[in-house]
Amino acid sequence: MQDKVVRLDVREDIRRGREPFSKIMQTVAQLAQDESLLLIAPFEPKPLFAVLAQQGFSPSPKALPSGDWEVLFRRPTKTATSHSGADSPAATAHIVEVDARGLEPPQPMVKILEALAALPEDAELLARTDRRPMHLYPQLEQRGFSASSEEQADGSFATHIRRC
Amino acid sequence: MNLPLRFLLTGILALFVAVGWLIVRPDILATYHYNQYVIALTHLLVLGWICTVVMGAMYQLVPVALETRLHSERLAKWQFVFQVVGVAGMVWMFWVWNMKQVGHFGSVLALGVALFVFNLVRTLLKVPRWTLVATAVTAALFWFSLTIVVGLSIATAKCTYDSAEQLSPTSILGAMIHGLRSVAGFMARFDQISAMHAHAHLGGVGFFVMMIVGVSYKLIPMFTLSEVQSHRRAAASIALLNVGLAGSFMTILLRSPWKLAFTLLMVAGLAVYGWELRAMLRARKRRSLDWGLRYFLTAVSLLAPLSILALVLSWPGLRLTAFTGQLENLYGFLGLVGVISFAILGMLYKILPFLVWFGSYGQEIGRSQVPALADMYSAKWQIAGYWMFLSGLMTTSVATVAANPLGVRAGCALLALSLATFAVNVGKILSHWLRPIIVPLNVKAPPCSPTTARSTAAPLGSLISAS
Repeated sequence: MQDKVVRLDVREDIRRGREPFSKIMQTVAQLAQDESLLLIAPFEPKPLFAVLAQQGFSPSPKALPSGDWEVLFRRPTKTATSHSGADSPAATAHIVEVDARGLEPPQPMVKILEALAALPEDAELLARTDRRPMHLYPQLEQRGFSASSEEQADGSFATHIRRC
Repeated sequence: MNLPLRFLLTGILALFVAVGWLIVRPDILATYHYNQYVIALTHLLVLGWICTVVMGAMYQLVPVALETRLHSERLAKWQFVFQVVGVAGMVWMFWVWNMKQVGHFGSVLALGVALFVFNLVRTLLKVPRWTLVATAVTAALFWFSLTIVVGLSIATAKCTYDSAEQLSPTSILGAMIHGLRSVAGFMARFDQISAMHAHAHLGGVGFFVMMIVGVSYKLIPMFTLSEVQSHRRAAASIALLNVGLAGSFMTILLRSPWKLAFTLLMVAGLAVYGWELRAMLRARKRRSLDWGLRYFLTAVSLLAPLSILALVLSWPGLRLTAFTGQLENLYGFLGLVGVISFAILGMLYKILPFLVWFGSYGQEIGRSQVPALADMYSAKWQIAGYWMFLSGLMTTSVATVAANPLGVRAGCALLALSLATFAVNVGKILSHWLRPIIVPLNVKAPPCSPTTARSTAAPLGSLISAS
């Protein structure tokens, strides 16, 4: 089961001309056996796929509407059957993450509210945005959710949304 | 109706009236600007259109941009009433040149402005983290308040106080009349035209340009997916603009030859702003610029010719001739219509659809299919409007310098056509407010995609606005 996902955003590093390779490898080295890496980059980091494949990671790349790429690197699960378990609401309170960064307003709000509509009963939503989602709060309140936002080191915001 | 929306639509209405007025009376722009009609029209444009829209936009954007909530919606509702009554009365009384009534209606407006400033200052006091945008908003509010005080003082100086002799200074009415008479006495020290120019400049640069520059540092990164590239540069532009404006106000008022030095400071501030704007745009991650932003950026780039004109007009010892008088008209026109109004139209294309969309569909997002923002108006009309505005601006500018009423009429007709395209789009946008298009979402259906909503939104929207 893929419970834990470690996020690593290297867009800022690349934009500033810094080589993110060592940072990525460092993060990978610190991953626990059941952890996956979610890498966000401004392009599809193909060279990295082979490197991480040697360490037993398989990539699932996804293009974001902003033109960036999101790649989930995970180790093959030992029990293939437990795969469906991740989607079942019976799983213990898990966190669904929505990355709404790099989108023009009001797309972040749309993306988050749509994810919220599909949120399993016992799950929490973790929404990542470039700005404090001021327009989102009244909408969440109306729908019976509570939210708390924290500013991240990179200036973005992480908002935890749960049912009241 | 949503409060900011009420301000925005009232402002747009004032703009349509003002342009229609110019088509009927083009001679207003083609003669020297110190007459009652120019002043009436200018106040309709500046207070009725620009100010009302900026106020609405500030009620909407300041809390969002600064991560807090508006102090009081109720005060803002009252301010709206004062704003409408004050502006309508002032414009009418300027037209018939009854300065006493201008003062009375001006006081009604000022009361509203006081509520507005109080409301925003209380909001600013709650800001969790002070930013450069907050500084710019504070400065803009300060200069705006000063503009109102100076404007009312000018009106006071144009009235007579015969009744003062019969009234005791200790009675309430007497104290007021005596007070006003001493203000009039104080204002008599200054040249009337200089006082008017100082007043106009304070409002135009201090409130509007300051707001345009200040919010750019928030909105441009937001809409183009970029970041402020140099915070020092951004801070320097605001600082230079403020210092330059303070000095320029005094030197215009006192007819000092030092005027040029402070104009240079402000031009330097705008140059630094342009530099940072360019850097932000170069670093943007969203390559295509939508037309709302193009309106805004074109308007802002017109600050360059405007700055050159400002330097020429503040040249020490410049003689007032028929030609330089027309240059002053051009300066005012290019500033108010070319830069400020054009920029506001661009921003309205961003704010207005959002406000209506949020009001009509906010509760439906994720529950039903809702139209995308871009589907709420026609981009074709928007593009046509852009080119018509630009050509109308050029034609009117040339005709103003040449003092040619026919050219002014042609130019203003183009501007009016451009505004007609804007009116069509406002109609389309508002149709979503009158009749929201909500398609129920099937439980099994994939989440709403903008492309599926487009096909239903566009024809319906155009049908409603056409009727």
